[in-house]
Amino acid sequence: MSATAAVSDLGTRARLAVAGAAALFLSAGALALTGSTDVLLAVLALLFEKSTLAAALRLSVPIAFAALGGIFAEKSGVINIGLEGLLIVSAFGGVYVTSITGSVWLGLLGGVAVSTLLALLFAIVCIEFRADQIIAGLAIWLIALGLAPFASTVVFGSTNASAGTTFPSIGRLLANSGLPVVSTAGVAALDALAGVPFFGALFEASPMVYLMFVAVGASWWTLNRTSFGRWVHASGENPKALDTAGVRVSRVRYAAVLLSGVLAGVGGAALSLSLGQFVGNGPTMVNGKGFIAIVTYLLGNYNPVGALLSTLLFAGLDALQLSLQGQNVLAIPRPLVRTIPYVSVIVVLALFGKTRLPEAAGEHYESGEE
Amino acid sequence: MDTDRFDRRKFVKGVGAAGLIGLAGCTGGPESGGSSGNSGGSGGDSDSDSEETQTQTQASGSDTTYVGMVYATGGLGDGSFNDQAQTGIQRAAEEFDLSYDESEPDSVSQFSTYQTQYAQSTDPNYDLVSCIGFLQADALSQTAPDYPDQNFMIVDSVVDAPNVRSYTFKEHEGSYLVGQLAGLLTTQSFSAGGSSTQSDSTNVGFVGGVEGSLIKKFEAGYIAGVKAASDDVDVQSTYTGSFSDPSAGKEAALQMYSSGADIVYHAAGNTGVGVFQAAREEGRFAIGVDRDQSVTTDYQDVILASMVKRVDTAVYNAAKAIVNDSFEGGTATTLGLAEEGVDIVYGTELGDQIPEDVKSQIASARQAIIDGDVSVPTEPSNV
Repeated sequence: MSATAAVSDLGTRARLAVAGAAALFLSAGALALTGSTDVLLAVLALLFEKSTLAAALRLSVPIAFAALGGIFAEKSGVINIGLEGLLIVSAFGGVYVTSITGSVWLGLLGGVAVSTLLALLFAIVCIEFRADQIIAGLAIWLIALGLAPFASTVVFGSTNASAGTTFPSIGRLLANSGLPVVSTAGVAALDALAGVPFFGALFEASPMVYLMFVAVGASWWTLNRTSFGRWVHASGENPKALDTAGVRVSRVRYAAVLLSGVLAGVGGAALSLSLGQFVGNGPTMVNGKGFIAIVTYLLGNYNPVGALLSTLLFAGLDALQLSLQGQNVLAIPRPLVRTIPYVSVIVVLALFGKTRLPEAAGEHYESGEE
Repeated sequence: MDTDRFDRRKFVKGVGAAGLIGLAGCTGGPESGGSSGNSGGSGGDSDSDSEETQTQTQASGSDTTYVGMVYATGGLGDGSFNDQAQTGIQRAAEEFDLSYDESEPDSVSQFSTYQTQYAQSTDPNYDLVSCIGFLQADALSQTAPDYPDQNFMIVDSVVDAPNVRSYTFKEHEGSYLVGQLAGLLTTQSFSAGGSSTQSDSTNVGFVGGVEGSLIKKFEAGYIAGVKAASDDVDVQSTYTGSFSDPSAGKEAALQMYSSGADIVYHAAGNTGVGVFQAAREEGRFAIGVDRDQSVTTDYQDVILASMVKRVDTAVYNAAKAIVNDSFEGGTATTLGLAEEGVDIVYGTELGDQIPEDVKSQIASARQAIIDGDVSVPTEPSNV
């Protein structure tokens, strides 16, 4: 069992590597057509700048967490299209709790709690009352889109709210850790490593970035190395077999959907608390990141590591796009530059994405026993 | 089991129907959150009892003027555009016997609904419908001819109809002044409030929201102002493609600061909050837009100045014209520096520390524009 899993993982990874290389190759080809080698060099220089990696990591956090949540839910057979909504409510919940308690960490917990509650509602509607998962997911998004700005207006008197504080950097966190030797040595080591070109960005990121890497690892391990992971897998592929083996399918699905609420909650709270603000106008500050998350985990074929890599690909191109606009490197109109990440993702998805939906995803399962 | 399933289905349907009805009740009709201002009472309340009593107590002889406000999609509380418009109508309500109702559409498709509702209403009969924001122009150009007796006004766009008064602004003129400020400060060593300019770099930035002719006016004026201050200064321009994506605004600004920019000006609505946050994290400066954002946001430690756009003046003038029976439908007014429609306002915390010679240069540039000696471009490609 685990051997097959490992093999399929390897396949996914190889595919992703090919996809990433092809994306680079394609964009290089497109550049070669539009400009000279100077342009190509300038783009590559920007791509390998430390600030680009730092921006890519920061932009990845909410998308990657939502994608992890989506993987758990969908692998268990419940397609959670409401990730965007979970991100929205947790972004507001995080800011609200932080503004009351003054602690971003309590705010993070608050965001997770709100998002998990909304995920619970989604789970009850889908699993208990057999609602159509896509429609219920859209409802979750629409509820959040109205509820969060409304709650903000009630509490803060405006659709925009300020938390008053943001996450500390990893260096300051270490310095304040109260462990005398560890903190000074750690800060010194981090300072030295942060000076490294390009990869230095990995050593001066927000704590949420490290949490994202931990969560990806933990999710992979949970899905592939624990019995809960096997249950989730079976619940999405062949719920009848799981039922026959004596495991309650609905319980596994509840757990998976709640877990998606927890993970998306971390993502949403991380998004708003890294700015210290909640913005509830229009599409809110989440602005489609939940839907991008769905794309990234499909591109990663339900593998947490694959989802992280495709998130980084998208976020990296998004960061690159912003600097390309600012420095005016490409001789094409800015609106086209802005579409680079989306076009690349579509190309990669169309050419290399091999996504196999779980067999029973989207279907309700009713146990035969009463 | 089958009957059990049936019951559940029924339950879901019932709950769904009840929920929908409840939701419909919540969203119906324009909100009436306005206050007449005179007595702090809620003259705009649709509760007819309170309205009657108030009209009786406050208005003896004269008729109350009713104004319907249709705000831009950003909604109230954006700390800039819509709040500024609200300030204007509040001022009118304080000075005249005037009462107003407000509605905050969530999407472009709702504009015509709210415009029509105000135009059709007979209780009260609205004397003026104020449409805030250029996105309402399409809807209004269809609504206005259907109600030829209803007076409309629109801010930020021109609608050619005999019953519509249009107000636009010369944003490029105000942006020219903040561009001068940025250009002058980046070429010298300047530090204030924990932030400073890099003395070895002459580089400033502009972050826009949705790219279009309106926001390009801000960009064009800004670039022209920077170049007028010094030809050596580079301007980086990025559009995030959204007015409500502060994380994109933050990344765009961080890219600029890390590549040497000292000051970033934004015309990006709520996306601009991210620009301010980036300025704070990097110890650099930012310039606000539409209102004095050193007052309306928490970022007074990084905001050097703001390019204010007096949407309130337009709203107030239109309301005043209605009250005085001097409303001229079918005309368009452009408010620039000379008409005090746009201006530069220095930040509350950092404004005092800006050198006097910089301020006097900006003041003379301001005068030159008013006198017509300097003409500011409206397209970035013409700078």
